[in-house]
Amino acid sequence: MPKRSLRKTSFLGSQKLAPYVFISPFIISFLVFGLYPIGYSITMSFWKWTSNGPQEFVGFRNYIKLLTSDPFFLRTLWTSFVLMIFGSGLQHLFALPLAIFLNDSKIKGKDFFQLTYFLPYITSTVSIVLIFSQLFDENYGWLNYILTSWLHLNPVKWLNNPTAIKTSIAIMLNWRFIGWNTLIYVAGLQSIDRSLYEAAEIDGASKVQQAIRITLPLLKPIIFFTLTLSIIGGFQVFDEAFVLLGGYTRMGGPQNAGLTTAFYLMAMGFEFGRLGKGSAVAWLMFIVIILLNILHRQIGHREKRRTA
Amino acid sequence: MQASGLVNSGMLMKKIKSKLLSGGSRILLYLTLIVFAFIFAFPFYYVFVLASQEGTNMYTFPPHIFFSSHYLENIGKLFRDIPFARNFLNSVGIATTATFGTAFFCTMGGFALAKYRFKGKKIIYTFMLSTIAIPVFLNIIPFFKMMVAFNWYNTWLPLIMPGLANAFGIFLMTQFLEEAVPDDLLASARIDGLTEFGILMKIVFPLAKAGLAILMIVTFIGSWNNLIGPLVFLPEKMKTTIPVALTLLYNNLEGDRGGLMAGNTLAITPLMIVVIAFSKQIIAGLTAGSIKG
Amino acid sequence: MEKKLLLMVMSIFSLFPMFSEGQQEGPKQIPPVDMDRTYEITVGTWSQQLADTYAESLKSAEFTSKFPNISVSFMVADFSGHHSRAVTTIAAGEATNQIEMLEVAQIAKFVEGGGLTYLDEAPFNGFEAGKDIVDFAMGNATSESGKLVAFPVDIAPAVLFYRKSITDAAGVDMTKLNTWDQFIEAGKKLTIDKDGDGVIDQYAITHAVEVSNVPLNGGMAGWFDREGNPFEPKEKFILALELVKMVRDAGIDGDLGTWSPPWLQAYADGTVAATINGAWFGGGLETWIAPETKGDWRVAYIPGKSYASMGGSYFTIPEQVPADEKAAAWEVIKFLSTSDIAQLASFVEQAAFPVMTTLYDHPVMNEGVEFFGGQKVRQIFADVARNMPNDPVSEFDPIARAIFGNATTMVLVEGLSPEEAYQDALNELMAVIE
Repeated sequence: MPKRSLRKTSFLGSQKLAPYVFISPFIISFLVFGLYPIGYSITMSFWKWTSNGPQEFVGFRNYIKLLTSDPFFLRTLWTSFVLMIFGSGLQHLFALPLAIFLNDSKIKGKDFFQLTYFLPYITSTVSIVLIFSQLFDENYGWLNYILTSWLHLNPVKWLNNPTAIKTSIAIMLNWRFIGWNTLIYVAGLQSIDRSLYEAAEIDGASKVQQAIRITLPLLKPIIFFTLTLSIIGGFQVFDEAFVLLGGYTRMGGPQNAGLTTAFYLMAMGFEFGRLGKGSAVAWLMFIVIILLNILHRQIGHREKRRTA
Repeated sequence: MQASGLVNSGMLMKKIKSKLLSGGSRILLYLTLIVFAFIFAFPFYYVFVLASQEGTNMYTFPPHIFFSSHYLENIGKLFRDIPFARNFLNSVGIATTATFGTAFFCTMGGFALAKYRFKGKKIIYTFMLSTIAIPVFLNIIPFFKMMVAFNWYNTWLPLIMPGLANAFGIFLMTQFLEEAVPDDLLASARIDGLTEFGILMKIVFPLAKAGLAILMIVTFIGSWNNLIGPLVFLPEKMKTTIPVALTLLYNNLEGDRGGLMAGNTLAITPLMIVVIAFSKQIIAGLTAGSIKG
Repeated sequence: MEKKLLLMVMSIFSLFPMFSEGQQEGPKQIPPVDMDRTYEITVGTWSQQLADTYAESLKSAEFTSKFPNISVSFMVADFSGHHSRAVTTIAAGEATNQIEMLEVAQIAKFVEGGGLTYLDEAPFNGFEAGKDIVDFAMGNATSESGKLVAFPVDIAPAVLFYRKSITDAAGVDMTKLNTWDQFIEAGKKLTIDKDGDGVIDQYAITHAVEVSNVPLNGGMAGWFDREGNPFEPKEKFILALELVKMVRDAGIDGDLGTWSPPWLQAYADGTVAATINGAWFGGGLETWIAPETKGDWRVAYIPGKSYASMGGSYFTIPEQVPADEKAAAWEVIKFLSTSDIAQLASFVEQAAFPVMTTLYDHPVMNEGVEFFGGQKVRQIFADVARNMPNDPVSEFDPIARAIFGNATTMVLVEGLSPEEAYQDALNELMAVIE
């Protein structure tokens, strides 16, 4: 007993003080690297702020203009939304079944599959450019080669037709992250008690029935988690669109088909020198992401209540 | 006894069933897995195919599908055009430092949130999670100003320091440590006279291995592939990292495309080796880390 | 608790505007170069070859005898990387290099936006130093209020490059194209299926948009007329869209994306017979795009002897460079932009065309160039340079270019009429600049 009270007084020994010390690097790091830039960009969003710094205080004008008269902003929200659904959301429809397949105890070469599925996740934007600019090339690319020579279809203008542009970006996103989500689901599946399946099998449930009745309900927390990340990430798609569509100079291609909100704010800030307006785009985007997550949570809660 | 008999008979039934079921559905299952494996792996194969082609003959119709014999020649061009060895060492140095530093600080923070009860914990936790959704894009300008003010420009620090105690890493480790570190073990360690820091070092870290594996891999990959950071903070050719050096070859009016493709293979290979070497740990780490979601 | 936190955060945020005020100081006195101390000047640029040539020129006695105390090094990144770094740096109100080289398309946003040192003021007196520099280049670097924010170092007269072996085989004379119609007729003869497999594998040019660059003067300036009206004069923009449509309808372009790998390869493997581009492109062909085609390329005027500019580079000194280093940086700029030795070296070695009009009659302009089979191509370059149109720049140039580029694609891919595409583009641009 006396030993214990002695320990309490020493620094890092105290059970009361220790958690604060342990979490302090995050707090300090946020105060230094997070708070200042965040405050700065909020401030910028209320100014006409060009490449040369603040010009005049404009209040909410940047925000109002974006929401009312800007020809691009609402379009970019739509593009981001479409990509969130078909780029980031669609992945889960592939990843989940793949994970269930992989989780089958009798699958051979499981390690090989998991490793291969992880590969796209390790690629850098630079490598992706090199790979996909070849695959999507309208004259020499593999995709059009397959379409024309094997399937005898018309070639697709992957990077010039508005619909095709969105499709291209969605393909790239799916390619890059299906495997990653599959692995997360596999991991989640491994925590499900196998005896549940055995019991279901005895009851004569088919594999599909097992998946719907056992797997999906038990995976719900993980599905919720990965979907949350997909909403956050999916709405901020930038790299893929940027590299695929030749940087800022094309503004996302015809009809700005590939101009995501994140892409637009980068172009506004760095290519067109409108840092104030760009900051306003960033904060509107943040608000949309938060709203989407609240909506997602509401749906999640209702689901929970329904199944409970 | 009866229970185990039931399980056994269940197993037996399952065996019989799976034998009956095999054939069609099993082939379909494998086929799906293989098709996706092919889709995910093909571009990597293709990077190596392109890297073995002559620089002026990359694009043909129909596209190349097999290896050619110019790989070493292209490697030679790569080393001629950019100081690739230096860029490689820089990349390794930055990624390694960032990885180990992040592992330490995120485990520490995760330990605090997972295993202590303290005032303000819930607020810190919720706040931390919400920071993940903050758009990082426009922060680059104020961040740049700060780095210059700190005299960190042209050093590795801007690429390492901000991520050391990052929200995602701490969140991951919190999730993981809640399960991996039993409370009674902590209690008995305290009775044995270990300090809280001692507990972190001697008990938490060894138990955190699986979670650390995934955190470290993700950090290493992120750091290794970071383009905009080194582009802005390490513009010097000799001081910069592989992605910046490769974009120099890609966009600049210099260098050979064969060399570029060869450089791409050299940029990917270390990651592939790391991932293959630690694949077991990655899977294990994912399992443990995502249980709670 | 949460309310308190919110209040705290709010009060911290309210402090932020103060941070930005630092830049609004009055002009600092700029001391002249101090011969008793040494200077280390770094130059940010996007071309290793140009950097090497500049470094070589700076080693000449003409510079070292005058300024033995100034040493210069170069910070090279890829084209877009260099510019995004330079823009970030300048926008952050910082300076990491004393000199940043900027391409003409990037210069406009700084001309009115600021962040750069005014080079017309003492001790630079840039207008005096640049009195022999070609007018339009100086004009593009001058703001409405008459401030010189950048100093030209090279310009890019646009010409028609073509492969003689290919045009000869097709029986086409590229030097006698007086109209765009003749160009398209010639293009049809150049567009053929060489190996007879039913697929066209040789095109006149890589992409239809190349021709739209000519009426638009390279697309780097002139998006607004002198009164600041967007996309005016209208005929110019409609003509550009019509030309592009004509070329695509005639099927003479390979539809290869500019600077994409297949685009690059097309010049080396004979997929393409000709291209309209700036003089510097010849340097690119020679050094890395298609070195093995040496001797086969020729240069002609753009059809109808149109004059256009396609590129050009400027030196700038970011405002935040320490005042005592600015004079030394200026000396480096002045040497590279106005000395015969530096201007000629970048021209002869890298095809970066001189800005100094005094050099347009230099004997080197009459020399044959080996890469072009001994043709005296520099005479053509110099003639175009002398007649180059002087179009105004605007800070909205980048967004105007992006919008119009997409209008072009809408004509090419979606089949919009030039008039429709023009109206759409105009509406978008008006909404942005209002």
